[in-house]
Amino acid sequence: MNVVERVEPATAQELSELLAACDRDGRKVAIAGGNTLAGMGLPPQGIDVTVATRALSNIVEYVPADLTIAAQGGTPIQAISVALGQRGQFVPFDTPLPAHATLGGTLAAGWLGPRRHLYGRPRDYVLGTTVVLADGTIARAGGMVVKNVAGYDMSRLYVGSFGTLGVIVQANLKTLALPARTRLFLAKLPDGTRARACEHVAALEIRPSAAFWIDGFHNSIDGEDGPEGRMLVLLEGSAAVVERATRELRSALGRAGVPETRVADAGARESCQRVIDAYVAPLGERSVTYRVQSFPDASEARASALHELGGKFSLRCETIVDVMNGDVVARYSDLDTRALGAKIEMLDDALHDAEPHAQVIASNHPHRAELRVWGEPPSTIDRMRDLKKRFDPNGTLNPGRFIGGI
Amino acid sequence: MLNERLVAALGPDAVKTSPEDLAVYSFDAYSDGCLPKAVVLPASVRDVSATVKIARELGEPIVPRGAGTGLCGGAVPIEGGVVISFARMNRILELDTRNRRARVQSGVINLDLSKHVASSGLFYAPDPSSQKIATIGGNIATNAGGPHCLSYGTTVNHVLALEVVDERGEVFTTSVDDPGYDLTATLVGSEGTLGIVTAAWVRLLRVPESVRVWVAAFGEIEAASEAVSAIVGAGIVPTALEMMDSVIVKAVEAAFGAGYPTDAAAVLLIENAGFEDDMDACEAAIAAIVKQHGALSWRSARSAAERDALWAGRKGAAGATGRIAPNYYTQDVCVPRSKLPDALRAVEAAAGEHRLTVGNVFHAGDGNLHPLLMYDKRDLKQVAAVIETGNTILQSAIDLGGTISGEHGIGFEKRDAMTKVYSTADLATMARVRDVFDPRRALNPDKIFPSGARCAEVTQPA
Repeated sequence: MNVVERVEPATAQELSELLAACDRDGRKVAIAGGNTLAGMGLPPQGIDVTVATRALSNIVEYVPADLTIAAQGGTPIQAISVALGQRGQFVPFDTPLPAHATLGGTLAAGWLGPRRHLYGRPRDYVLGTTVVLADGTIARAGGMVVKNVAGYDMSRLYVGSFGTLGVIVQANLKTLALPARTRLFLAKLPDGTRARACEHVAALEIRPSAAFWIDGFHNSIDGEDGPEGRMLVLLEGSAAVVERATRELRSALGRAGVPETRVADAGARESCQRVIDAYVAPLGERSVTYRVQSFPDASEARASALHELGGKFSLRCETIVDVMNGDVVARYSDLDTRALGAKIEMLDDALHDAEPHAQVIASNHPHRAELRVWGEPPSTIDRMRDLKKRFDPNGTLNPGRFIGGI
Repeated sequence: MLNERLVAALGPDAVKTSPEDLAVYSFDAYSDGCLPKAVVLPASVRDVSATVKIARELGEPIVPRGAGTGLCGGAVPIEGGVVISFARMNRILELDTRNRRARVQSGVINLDLSKHVASSGLFYAPDPSSQKIATIGGNIATNAGGPHCLSYGTTVNHVLALEVVDERGEVFTTSVDDPGYDLTATLVGSEGTLGIVTAAWVRLLRVPESVRVWVAAFGEIEAASEAVSAIVGAGIVPTALEMMDSVIVKAVEAAFGAGYPTDAAAVLLIENAGFEDDMDACEAAIAAIVKQHGALSWRSARSAAERDALWAGRKGAAGATGRIAPNYYTQDVCVPRSKLPDALRAVEAAAGEHRLTVGNVFHAGDGNLHPLLMYDKRDLKQVAAVIETGNTILQSAIDLGGTISGEHGIGFEKRDAMTKVYSTADLATMARVRDVFDPRRALNPDKIFPSGARCAEVTQPA
């Protein structure tokens, strides 16, 4: 067994020297932020050194009047949110486990949250980056301005690259003013109301910031028992808009035959955060969670198909449908690790037959690496391999972590 | 040889080779390049692919071109080669109103898409001032902005998938939903140097239920720019927040009678779109800030016709300056929003030093300046003064923490300025991407990356 050395560089320069040395000596490097998304993708292979970014954890520059902030890659998302919140601002990343998740890790994972249909993707908030490449090159891209077309937007390439092209040591972000009012809507969704409820919610004139149809996940989200589905809708905006949205949402759900609804302003964001956390919450080693990206008008049918698949293999299936974006998250579990292990590879095959692009986003199961965790590679996979080769010819950074063996 | 092969592959109507035809493709809205050896007008992705293969065999570079409305030579040939014009690839291929997206060929004119989907209550958000003629393919190449990208984001935020012809003539497709590296976002804004976009899925937005447009007039440009910084600083991001100074307003009013007050030193054109429920509060908040900053007047457009007239004036502003001088040069820099007053002072000082008339018309809310320097290109002294002033403005933007292009691109004209904002290592990192997509530098060579070799005349500050 390899002894993995753990290093916590305190500056970009230190990291640069470390990576250059590893690259030269053929030592393989894993990059660790808050390890909150370690269950996504594959574990890196044959690692000699783990580089933790936690010592790179400062807010470098925050100019509230410019609606911009720059922070080091190891800064926890929550620290950024707190700093921004004190000035009435935020960045809509919707990161799971924000107390631990780092800025660099969140961006490297290209995490896609439920509010992106309204605010855009995390990459659209990145104005600039500083990255250390495998050979030690410190490369900056972009800047601190909100519009910038000077050369390639390298930052957008680094977002979602899972640390296989370089280590994000700083990111400059665009911020937004926090909405004045936040409200949470809760409703039970009996059988027969779900498809229409989703359709009505997705078509609302005032688009909810987030809307989930949830089956299961009780222990992870609200602790309530009962098998029936429920809907959780987050409304954000001015007080006037939230009031109107409340009326329209209530009426839309009524028309869909949803019997009762509950409204809460206090703790609305926290409740939404618990759903986001549940995306990546494993049940010990006895679960595998997949994400399927869909279109809003197809997500209900896809969720039903994923449930049926669970039934076919006698696995428990819990789902979260992100109504506004059309994502479906499905967590399959069994009573223990062995019971899951006996079936999970067959389920993985059957699931990818139906959903070739399904990705594993959370699992601690020992068989995880045998699953098709990234789904089918896109047709451009060879170009992606070429990019990896050009940025990291020796395969030093996070080897095997990404799609197609990258 | 080149022409025969192109004609054999695409047909005689699709290939132009006469000098007077070629000359049309040797310049854009500002820069002059060289004559290309041939211009092709493909009708399909297959034609594009065939063209690239032929050009590659014969060692000819490729220059993709939309409508040629660019201002920095991105779509003009610098060393001959083949220009691919997308004028004939202008079909809207699919419309998916339920999921609010459309698939379009690269040559679709920006405004035509919004007109086409208007009956479904949708629109395409990026709206560069050239949108009546600029193509979506060209917009993708430059990651074009426009007044409304303040709240809607630039082109990259609205592109969902691309169909691309690579330097070997092979077709590939990318989607923002693909796992793996975000090639879609990497290709947007790469100015045709990584691949030739032939079609795209783009996002459509729902037409907002309520739109209000306001005009605030100021006695000093300084006060207007401070008001802009204060609006943004208060966390208010309206849909558009534009500024015009008196030079521009007078030209606009003379040309269009758009409804701007001509006695002000600067006016702000502010639009907010969204829900009716928010409009009064938004109006009150912005009005209070501009009044605090000494606005001389504040007016709300009372009708759609009034709104349209104000916008037509704004979008036609650059053209209207023909009344001031025979030529104008547009600089395009972007600074942090709180630095706007400093940046405008620097523009005024730079122009004043060379006794040039400068008109400012720009996306103030984004900190994206467009000083227009007026001159007569027959007077070489004035040309020299414009180049020097442009460079000074560029440098002052950099000194204020800004960048050398907010939305027009680098093209040929600004490529040597890239070294002012990026280190050699930064540029070499960008070049690694180029190495993967275009190792031979056959796609739009001489653009973006700085280099000593050139044959065209530098007509723009860099």
